[in-house]
Amino acid sequence: MAEFSWDIRSPLDRALVAGPYGARGEDGVTLIEIRNFDLVQVMTRRGAAGEMAKAAQARFGVAAPETPKAVSAGDATLIWSGPDQFLVLSKGGRHTMEALAPVFAGSASLSDQSHARALISVSGDKARAMLAKLSSIDLHPDVFGVGAAAATSMDHTSVTLWRGKDRNAQAVFNVLVFATFAESLWHTMLDSAAEYGVTISHSEDLV
Amino acid sequence: MAGDQANRLNNGGLIDRSAALNFRFDGKTFSGFKGDTLASALVANGVKLVGRSFKYHRPRGILTAGSEEPNALVELRSGARREANTKATTAELYEGLEAASQNRWPSLNFDVMSVNQLLAPIFVAGFYYKTFMWPAKFWEAIYEPAIRRAAGLGRAAQVSDPDHYDKAWAHCDVVIAGSGPAGLAAALAAARCGARVILCEEDFVLGGRLLADAGTIDGLHAAEWVARAVAELEAMPDVRIMTRTTLFGVYDGGTYGAIERVNDHLPVPPEHQVRQRLWRIVAKRCVVAAGAIERPIVFAGNDTPGVMMASAMRSYISRYAATPSRRIALFTNNEDGWRTAETAIAAGLQVAAVIDARPDVSPAHRSLASKGGFPVLHGSVSGVDGGKVGVRKISVLLTGGARAEVEADGLAVSGGWNPAVGLTSYHRGRPKWRDDIAAFVPDGAPPGIVAAGAANGAFSLGACLREGFEAGAAAARDAGRSGNTGSTPLANDEAFSLTPLWHVKGKGKAFVDQQHDVTASDIELAQREGFESVEHLKRYTTLGMATDQGKTSNVAGLAIMAAVTGKSIPETGTTIYRPPYVPVAIGAFAGHHRDENFHATRLTPSHHWAAEQGAVFVDTGLWKRAQWYPRAGEKDWLESVTREVKAVRSGVGFCDVSTLGKIDVHGPDAGAFLDRVYINTFSNLAVGKARYGLMLREDGIVYDDGTTSRLAEDHYFLTTTTAKAGLVMQHLEFCRQVLFPELDVQLTSVSDQWAQFSIAGPKTRDLLKEIVDPAEDLSNEGFPFMGAREVNLRGGLTARLFRISFSGEMAFEISVPARYGEATARNLMIAGKAFGVTPYGTEALGVMRIEKGHVAGPELSGTTTAADLGLGKMMSTKKDFIGRVMAGREALVAPNRQVVVGIKPVDKTRRLRSGAHIIPKGETPGPDNDQGYVTSVCFSPVLDQWIGLGLVERGRERIGEIVRAHDPLRGEDYDVELCNSVFYDPDGGRQRG
Repeated sequence: MAEFSWDIRSPLDRALVAGPYGARGEDGVTLIEIRNFDLVQVMTRRGAAGEMAKAAQARFGVAAPETPKAVSAGDATLIWSGPDQFLVLSKGGRHTMEALAPVFAGSASLSDQSHARALISVSGDKARAMLAKLSSIDLHPDVFGVGAAAATSMDHTSVTLWRGKDRNAQAVFNVLVFATFAESLWHTMLDSAAEYGVTISHSEDLV
Repeated sequence: MAGDQANRLNNGGLIDRSAALNFRFDGKTFSGFKGDTLASALVANGVKLVGRSFKYHRPRGILTAGSEEPNALVELRSGARREANTKATTAELYEGLEAASQNRWPSLNFDVMSVNQLLAPIFVAGFYYKTFMWPAKFWEAIYEPAIRRAAGLGRAAQVSDPDHYDKAWAHCDVVIAGSGPAGLAAALAAARCGARVILCEEDFVLGGRLLADAGTIDGLHAAEWVARAVAELEAMPDVRIMTRTTLFGVYDGGTYGAIERVNDHLPVPPEHQVRQRLWRIVAKRCVVAAGAIERPIVFAGNDTPGVMMASAMRSYISRYAATPSRRIALFTNNEDGWRTAETAIAAGLQVAAVIDARPDVSPAHRSLASKGGFPVLHGSVSGVDGGKVGVRKISVLLTGGARAEVEADGLAVSGGWNPAVGLTSYHRGRPKWRDDIAAFVPDGAPPGIVAAGAANGAFSLGACLREGFEAGAAAARDAGRSGNTGSTPLANDEAFSLTPLWHVKGKGKAFVDQQHDVTASDIELAQREGFESVEHLKRYTTLGMATDQGKTSNVAGLAIMAAVTGKSIPETGTTIYRPPYVPVAIGAFAGHHRDENFHATRLTPSHHWAAEQGAVFVDTGLWKRAQWYPRAGEKDWLESVTREVKAVRSGVGFCDVSTLGKIDVHGPDAGAFLDRVYINTFSNLAVGKARYGLMLREDGIVYDDGTTSRLAEDHYFLTTTTAKAGLVMQHLEFCRQVLFPELDVQLTSVSDQWAQFSIAGPKTRDLLKEIVDPAEDLSNEGFPFMGAREVNLRGGLTARLFRISFSGEMAFEISVPARYGEATARNLMIAGKAFGVTPYGTEALGVMRIEKGHVAGPELSGTTTAADLGLGKMMSTKKDFIGRVMAGREALVAPNRQVVVGIKPVDKTRRLRSGAHIIPKGETPGPDNDQGYVTSVCFSPVLDQWIGLGLVERGRERIGEIVRAHDPLRGEDYDVELCNSVFYDPDGGRQRG
């Protein structure tokens, strides 16, 4: 009998070419694709908001977001994704569907979105200039601070956008995009960033 | 080094004399300096004739020094980058610039079409419309082509634009249009309050009229004050200064459109950079400090090259150190015009005369005249001699009736100033008339906008600074900012003192709209013919409808109309103002969305594997789907598709069906919810089973179909068609949130979470046994038709398996997390190798569904009921569901409805085509006898002939009847037989076996 190996491939596996891109000698934008994360959508059941909130607090040690923001909870990030719902982003199998099912039993419905999205982290001096070509959201530091989040669109494509923790004193913007749109948005991102000079990589670690 | 720049002053000007730039105009080489516009460089080189006019091919020169220019339009650049109707007055000079004059043949100096002037009596206002009234057949054959050839401006490039454009958003507290004294003062005040400020300036240098008119501000020379203001603004982190950027439109919710000419000043944009960028600026407040436009006075010969706006002449002399003329006459009706005489004298030029239409001239100016040795003539210019070589002699009608002549090679004209009221009037605002300046000024503005300075009718430097500063501070306050604005910049308030004068009667053509060749007599004619309303006047004469939108002509036009109708100017009113304020390239609106980026695309999880296999892809909505997989030696698509179908029907094949919409329906009330949205029942579906479902629109027409499986008591997995995936999700969310809020149900799109493949054919089970864990029972008993459950795969992956069939064969759909999609395609090839597994595309999928009589998009056309599709029995009578009541309407249950039926040509060798109309035998084709049409066709490898589905009146009752397929589009008419829509395995034994 034949042997089967189940190679996992990110939606950007082919499109992403690590290294420099665009204007030479510039290093305005850093694009990092984060691969192989766990992502679970948590949707409160009717009338169970209090119970769900308690369960989330107990599980993550922080309150689940009730407004557009991303809450860092140590080994997970809770990202608001709509009224009465949020996403749990994590790595390493700590907060998978299986792990969360008993936590939210009766208080929320869960849907696995781990494979449904690609995650792109955008940073660098020109990150805001580049994102201004894609997003109608005001990303000024006073307006879109660390932990701010938005369910919005880029290039007519639905995305979840949030500002993570600063890295090297620079703002980091995370873009979750539907997997089947990822390559298309990726090319648009490269076109938008090319004039600033881009450094491209991928990572297995959430940043 | 060609071009002697003979008309360049030795000193002064905001040009960099160390940076000479060569350029070509109409093939001739010239030179200019960095800091020049094309117009100023042409002026410096003594070029007066720059174009021919739109209709009469009159020789034209440069009238203005800004974006209001009607005449000096050129084709800039060459080849694919050629841009028609580019204003020489705003085009920045660069090394190697190439420009050509427009609307002349064979040359600017000798233009054959200038004979149009001789025909002028018939080319009057409304000529174009009047041609419609003459014999109709003349229009297309004669008038239209002739007019097109004779009239017009530049030529489009005709090939694809090689440059890129993009769009961006910007956000601020205060956006300011214009960087003249008012704009800079506004920016300073707002920024000092801590406001986020965007300052847009269409020029490439900040300063507005200060660049030409100088003055003293806070005791400093204007240039020094501007430099200090700009330095202060640039040092503030939340101030963005955007030069080469025109704020062109005002949209809802405080959104403004702006066009940034990022690299228009270079021959070719640097690599990776765009030529232009379209900005959408979201601002809490807007200060319009867009200045004012000096207006002409209409008199005979006012379009002669060398006649120039007085302020433009000052700009060329002061800002560019270029002299349009050596001996200048000035015609003014206001104090401001006199500045041109002062500037000319200071530059060492001769002033031939000042013709002042006002009764009085100030003592200061009288003494200037006597010192300068030129006469001051009280009266008006009534004619100009010159033609294409430019102004030679000026006729003056003196107050009291006497006549005089002035010899000069240039005539500066000032009829006063019109505030730029466009931006403040874009939301249907109408400006109001102010008698003291004889001009329209903003009368309110869209929410959040305020005009300041000359744009608000404040023409003195001191007033511009005061208004701008106040407006900037107020805007910042309104945006929630507070801080110390410092003190208002101070300057003198010069006198303006204007006596209105619009039109001087005289012999010869007197132009109102120079770009569209509309004369004063055209306006009088329009009035005589009944087109008195300004909106009619505009359309009848085309006044103000050229690319300059009548910036120099509209007010003069309606003033003349007011005079002939005996009304006042405010009674006559203005036309409606609409954006954009300056022409904006369509490319900028398209931005990134062109060619392969025209829209976003979606790729299936096995896309790259399919590409490796040589698949031909088809656009299905946003998706790229594998349409078929050609093999070496196959001569056309039909051969490939037929092979794929036969391989499935005789062995096994697989197809990526991940494009189907997939929705998780969760919650205790999930079953009850589905019962309401589907016509059939799902609450009684057993866990581990799938069921075909059909949903209706509210009006009873079929909306969508698909299979839904129950994976747990409180979890259903619903699929939709590819086309309706997003719409069904929206529909279900609407039902959940609005129609049935009492139900405890949650919805999530999981379309992108799962890679899904249909595996079909009699050897499907053999293939699956290779890849599925041996412990899984795939037998009919262990995994019956319409079963749905998780299975373990060899190699350690868990998948969902659904025993559903679209092809009519023994089939399963396998569903894996999407990142395993590509591996699944590869592993299915390995698992099926021994059975000749064949990947198939959407064409083969379509063939098999037609052979099986399954309805799809062409039948779910938004006009069909469940019964029309043969699915009427699915409509439950035991429950309510969306569309139930309306589906019972008389017309939707009428016995003569067009219903789905099979169709095959009587001649088996004949190709059937979709779209053909069904006509009874012996009847004349036409609406009365039209009984339906062919919806879907394919070549059926099983039947070895073309077959199809159609919607035909009472089709199911007419099985066996021969009718005509009438196809006037393709000129075909042939006999077809109506038959059972299930062509293949009507008992369904194969899919259940």
